[in-house]
Amino acid sequence: MKFFEKLMKIDRRIIYLILALVVIVPFLRPFMIHPKAMPPVENLYNYIDSIPPDKALVISVDYTPDTEPELQPMTIALLRHAFARRIKVGVLTLGVLGLGLAENALTQVANEFNQRATTREDSIIYGRDYVFWGWQTPALTVILGMGERISRVFSVDYYGNKTETLPMMQKIKNYNNVGIVVSVSASATPLWYITYGQTSFGIKVGIASTAVQAADMYPYLNSGQATGLLSGMKGGAEYEELVQTRLGITGRRRATEAMAAQTSAHFTIIAFIIIGNIGFFALRRRKK
Amino acid sequence: MKRRIPLLIVFVFGVLGAIPFLIPHRIIQDADNEFRSSVLRIIVAFSLVLGVGSIIRHHYEKIRRKRENWQYSYVTLISLVISAIIGLFGGIEANGILPTRFVFPFTNYTFRFDIQTLYTNIMVPLGATMFSLLAFFMTSAAYRAFRARNIEATILLFSAFVVMLAAVPLVSSIFPKLSFFSEWILTVPNTAAKRGLGFGIALGSMATSLKIILGIERGWLGGTG
Amino acid sequence: MAISPPTYVRAWDNPNDAGGAIRISWHLSADDSIIDGYEILRLAEGEKEYQPIGFIGKGRNCYTDDETKDGLRYQYRVSAVKDTIRSYSEPSNFAQSSAQWFNTDRINVLIFTAIFIFLILWFITQAKRGTRLFVRRIAGLAAVEEAVGRATEMGKPILYVPGLSTVDDVATIAGLNILGEVAKKTAQYDTKLIVPNRDPIVYTVAREVVKEAYTQVGRPDAFNPDSVYFVTDSQFAFAAAVDGIMTRENPATNFFMGYFWAESLIMAETGASTGAIQIAGTDAVMQLPFFITACDYTLIGEELYAASAYLSREPLLLGALKGQDFGKAIIIGVLLLTTLLALLLNLPVLNLF
Repeated sequence: MKFFEKLMKIDRRIIYLILALVVIVPFLRPFMIHPKAMPPVENLYNYIDSIPPDKALVISVDYTPDTEPELQPMTIALLRHAFARRIKVGVLTLGVLGLGLAENALTQVANEFNQRATTREDSIIYGRDYVFWGWQTPALTVILGMGERISRVFSVDYYGNKTETLPMMQKIKNYNNVGIVVSVSASATPLWYITYGQTSFGIKVGIASTAVQAADMYPYLNSGQATGLLSGMKGGAEYEELVQTRLGITGRRRATEAMAAQTSAHFTIIAFIIIGNIGFFALRRRKK
Repeated sequence: MKRRIPLLIVFVFGVLGAIPFLIPHRIIQDADNEFRSSVLRIIVAFSLVLGVGSIIRHHYEKIRRKRENWQYSYVTLISLVISAIIGLFGGIEANGILPTRFVFPFTNYTFRFDIQTLYTNIMVPLGATMFSLLAFFMTSAAYRAFRARNIEATILLFSAFVVMLAAVPLVSSIFPKLSFFSEWILTVPNTAAKRGLGFGIALGSMATSLKIILGIERGWLGGTG
Repeated sequence: MAISPPTYVRAWDNPNDAGGAIRISWHLSADDSIIDGYEILRLAEGEKEYQPIGFIGKGRNCYTDDETKDGLRYQYRVSAVKDTIRSYSEPSNFAQSSAQWFNTDRINVLIFTAIFIFLILWFITQAKRGTRLFVRRIAGLAAVEEAVGRATEMGKPILYVPGLSTVDDVATIAGLNILGEVAKKTAQYDTKLIVPNRDPIVYTVAREVVKEAYTQVGRPDAFNPDSVYFVTDSQFAFAAAVDGIMTRENPATNFFMGYFWAESLIMAETGASTGAIQIAGTDAVMQLPFFITACDYTLIGEELYAASAYLSREPLLLGALKGQDFGKAIIIGVLLLTTLLALLLNLPVLNLF
């Protein structure tokens, strides 16, 4: 019976060590997994795909460095999709820590496309194809102000250019010229867009969130307030899969790479739960 | 008087904050925007001064009284001062009045310590490290707590298995129905429970806000009642 | 090649706005499927020519002109566009924009708010008259006394984290209310209290709450101002700091009361590993599973808001709590009624409506 007691009280450090190994090893010996997109992901993809030429995709990069591994691949996949379909993109952040992350994503994806471009038309040019508005506070003022006039909220962009002078901003003035706002966030920020932006201006909102946060977002998805939902690393991998298979856009797929580690980690957690329950039931039977 | 003035301020601004929701007229909306974009920002900015003052005082006292681990307080205070100086005078990308890059002679290597570099190389990895601890803590918490003690715990355990397995592309491609069952768990019972909680929380927030505006709830003033 | 123009163009003041906007609608062109889109043209009163003001895609039949001057009359035409071919509609009626003083779309919110306020004030009046109001037992709050006592017996401190949100968050206010009650007990029993804060304003309020609590029970001398302090506004740095406090100070009791994000499990699991008794309360629905797993007691959602009424047993607060519960009962009743009606509407056999 001591064996079953030990099963119920495995030292935390052993659990942490085993988990660390099962997460690290798949990165050293990776195996590729091609996830099938679930409806919430596909809905968001299809909506963005159907944005008319006179409207923009707005990406609100509302996460911090701690959630960068889970959410940055989603931002990159969204940008690849938009640039491949020549959809204008406006990027902002509602938290100052998102600035560096947003800029990294924009620079990376723009460079990817420009390395393949052969003409100026094919290139992704700042000011013409995308604008990085930067950060403003407080968030509510930004969300509501963009319904009136984006250039009033962001009079200069992140790089110090007057927003009104940028070519893209001649057509993209407020939410009327925005197809959808996708909030990439690890907190409840997408709900602010729904509560304030959608209620006041009727904007479409897409959500890209961590797996933990996504459980909170499903009520809004079911009610139709959110057009689509990317949930966690798997949601990011599904979107990457759609972008690659439907548009032929290649590039490093960080979310998909992480699926191997996620797979083994989940199996490990389930194994530990089963072990703990085996010990629990064995001891309970003995006491009876 | 010491309590009446704050209560009056809360009442006036509480009511003024609610009015723009119902009155779309430009006069009201402009006043509300002005308050949020100017006044609130100033208050938030000044509150940082209070916070920094608190850190300095707390760690200064720790050093002065040589409390346990007082040496680490030096680390905190020195880091605070250095990052403040670099941030204020070094510019975002090493373009300020304080030089924040050093080029090693005879090499191409540039050592940068501007605020963007500090952020990217210190803040980002530290934040990611702390967040990654969640994976370990979730494992130990799940191992300890997910025991089928009774019917409710068993249902919780079963749901956890389904959702965790469905989050694994390998399993969901072998058993596609598992993904839909997981979606069902998240979109039906999970949503129902969250909506119920959401209603309660929304009404509770509304009632608590009303109590604060009307001065019934005064705990935030210091003391109760 | 000729294309059919859009028809029946109407213009009216955009309702429920701050002025400066006119809505235009039209019937789609018969050739909507082959055109590029619609160009909207505007003629201001006093001008001679229509000016293009916007372009939208095919399949759309409304547009909001948000660059009008209030009081000035405008007239509109809509043109179906295919390459260089344009087909113009007949002019619309004249319309002028104006600001509205009341948003009629939100009248239902106003009515329910009025009912809700009435209920709360009614029950407060009842409470003031001495009517006894029942509140069910909340395990987490009933355990506060026991938790403080445990810390006192063991000679260990109590750690209180009032959430990571700002002071305008209702959960933070609720957390600070409970802090006041806990501080009164620690003052009475002379137990060390540690209150780290993430927000500078919450720190100042928490400090005053604790100081006032100590004064109220007659122990102002026992208040240690360094027990309440600001740590950092960085989320995970704060979590790391709290974990450090738990492992160094080894508190017997941990309270997590307020709004939390992803750091909740990091703090709760570390606290569990030190063997402390843990009571958590949050309205962050997403963090509840972590607290329930790692803590001994958890206040779920509005149980946190009820804490101040529950712990103080003040008639005013209890009355407000009752009013809030009745408001919830009304919502439940309306939901059940509308669900039943929807069910009946969809039953083809009964065919009642």
